[in-house]
Amino acid sequence: MKRSWIIAPAVVAAAMLGVATSSVAAERTVKIAGFGAKSGVVRSFGVNTEAVMRAAADHINKGGGVKLGDGATGKIEVTFDDDRCNAEEGISVLRRIAGTDAVVAVGPTCSNVAEPLFGILQKKVGDAGDSGVQMPIFTDTAIKGGLAKISDWAFRNVPNESEMYQKLFAWIKAEHGELKTVYGGVEEDFAHSRFTWHKVMKVRAPEAGFEVVGESKWLLNDTNFATQVREMKKAKADIVAISAHPFTTCGVLKEMQRQRVKPKLLVGLTSSSSLETLQGCAKQAEGIIIPTSFAPVTPAAKVAADLSAEKGGSADLHSAAAWEIMMVLKGVIETSGVTAKPDTVQDDRRKIRDGLAALKETEGLLGTIQRTAEGEAIKPYVYVHAKGGSWAVLHDPGS
Amino acid sequence: MDFLLGLTQLIGVHTILGLSAYVVLLTGQVTIAQAGFFGIGAYIAAMLTTLAGWHIVPAMLVGASVAGVVACIVGFPALRVKGLMLVVATTAFGEFVRLFWFNFDYQIAKGEIMVGPEGGEGFKQIRYFPENGWTTGDVALFIWVILIAIMLALWWMDRSRAGAVLRAVGEDELAAQSVGINLTATKVTAFAVGGFIAGIGGGIYAHYTTHIEHANFSVLLATFAIAYPILGGLTNVTGTLFAVVFIQGILVEGLRFMGDWRNLLFGALIVVAMNVRPRGLIDERVVMIVGRAFSTRKGRADA
Repeated sequence: MKRSWIIAPAVVAAAMLGVATSSVAAERTVKIAGFGAKSGVVRSFGVNTEAVMRAAADHINKGGGVKLGDGATGKIEVTFDDDRCNAEEGISVLRRIAGTDAVVAVGPTCSNVAEPLFGILQKKVGDAGDSGVQMPIFTDTAIKGGLAKISDWAFRNVPNESEMYQKLFAWIKAEHGELKTVYGGVEEDFAHSRFTWHKVMKVRAPEAGFEVVGESKWLLNDTNFATQVREMKKAKADIVAISAHPFTTCGVLKEMQRQRVKPKLLVGLTSSSSLETLQGCAKQAEGIIIPTSFAPVTPAAKVAADLSAEKGGSADLHSAAAWEIMMVLKGVIETSGVTAKPDTVQDDRRKIRDGLAALKETEGLLGTIQRTAEGEAIKPYVYVHAKGGSWAVLHDPGS
Repeated sequence: MDFLLGLTQLIGVHTILGLSAYVVLLTGQVTIAQAGFFGIGAYIAAMLTTLAGWHIVPAMLVGASVAGVVACIVGFPALRVKGLMLVVATTAFGEFVRLFWFNFDYQIAKGEIMVGPEGGEGFKQIRYFPENGWTTGDVALFIWVILIAIMLALWWMDRSRAGAVLRAVGEDELAAQSVGINLTATKVTAFAVGGFIAGIGGGIYAHYTTHIEHANFSVLLATFAIAYPILGGLTNVTGTLFAVVFIQGILVEGLRFMGDWRNLLFGALIVVAMNVRPRGLIDERVVMIVGRAFSTRKGRADA
């Protein structure tokens, strides 16, 4: 009798433990590793991306998580590492991620990190002679043109600047026929801004019928822009196009105000359509026109922006791309049979890569995003302008 | 495992860079030119493997030789000045080299893409290692074989007459000159050897990162180059290795989990290390203790 009193509770406890264990086994963790710059001049990009990724993961988990290939349910877990916008650190971070059970990586912030990172990946999937890292990377921020073609394992969800500025300059020409000349200002030592001026704006503006009458160059860490703005003043251009990130964009705009340089129109870099620009120089930036792939103009975009703000981040064209990436990954994980077990990590990575490569279009916050065979995105976009201390939609080319 | 092997690659390359400055520091000269020589080695070796299809070893040796020759040519006028003036002169040289690569454009078509240096856009697709099936372990082994060879060569030099001459110049130029040592020849030789070693490091760096650009070879890298041997100590070649492990292994990688706090601690811990061990992590006392330990063990074995 005494023995049965001991055995009965033990059996019940064991049964309860078994039920608990099986429910734990049925609900797994799907690890997504984010990384980017959380230090230095471009710190805000990484901070925002991390907040948006965590907000998106919570949103997915509250909605029931992801359905895995064997019928189990998975909860998304996000980690985030700082690469300090440094190529060597980015490589180290990726190798560290590849050594964990993360099934996909999201990042990096900087194009000068993305280029070497994509370079150490296996170039052609399945090439046994190529010892490159086999890890799918989905990039939200590094925007320099044409990087995803470096590797079959690299994918990006960044806007196509070439098309955006082509359409923007054509629209400006149609709306303001009296404007004839463009003067460029470029942050010369940053891969993205340099690329956008020399390979995009400087090419697209003459195609639309504008004459480029000069250019001024400065560096990411510069704090004095007097000489550059003096050159700008001499050129007396109708339009000043600034291809620079928020920090130096604000520096130049303030110097323009000081030297009373007042072009008829200002055009900015996509990356500057962010909160940082308004926090730094809302008054001087008033009226600047920027094409962007994010604005909280749809219900989905508003939800993403609100939830990201709750996590301490700001949804802008770069970080909002991370939200879209998380939603795309949820779909790919569910359709490609990912099981998220410790012994299937490499298989899961391959399934996610193949799933991403097979996508022709995805649903974004502003509408449908086309996916190219090279792993790039063609995203819908709008033109915003700074108005009364906030970004307002000026024109929607898709409407 | 792959991460740790990757980290050993990084530590190996940075130690080679630090050793290139170590040779020059032995003569009492502070140089900010090492990033420039590192960049020359990187670009030339990368062009030879990527554009000309060379094997990495001869490509690296050519890159390093060019860096050594440039160091020799630059060394003659630069070493006529010393102290802060030399720092300014070598900084100017480093910036000259960086801006040269910033403006250097030479690309050829390779399949569907153009490869080669593209000015400010950088030089991508330097994929010798993965394209030839080198695993992370193979690359780490390759780097460490070269590093150990350089360390052994410098250790041997340190114990030879050449090392004594370098240290004599570093300790007291006037005294060294009074015993017949040719100061210019000694300093320029050290500069050229340092340039050659930096060139080797640059050649490896270009291939393990697969992408290089002018910004990689800035004053910041040159500062790290001299910080490694100064923090590690100039008594012994191993000091530089310990300093690189301390900075890259512990401060940069080991503290990554601390997020934003890592950057605050980075500077603070270096200041603490320099205060606790002002003569370097591996100073004369450590060398003496280790030396005694070895001689005691050897004595016991002989008995």
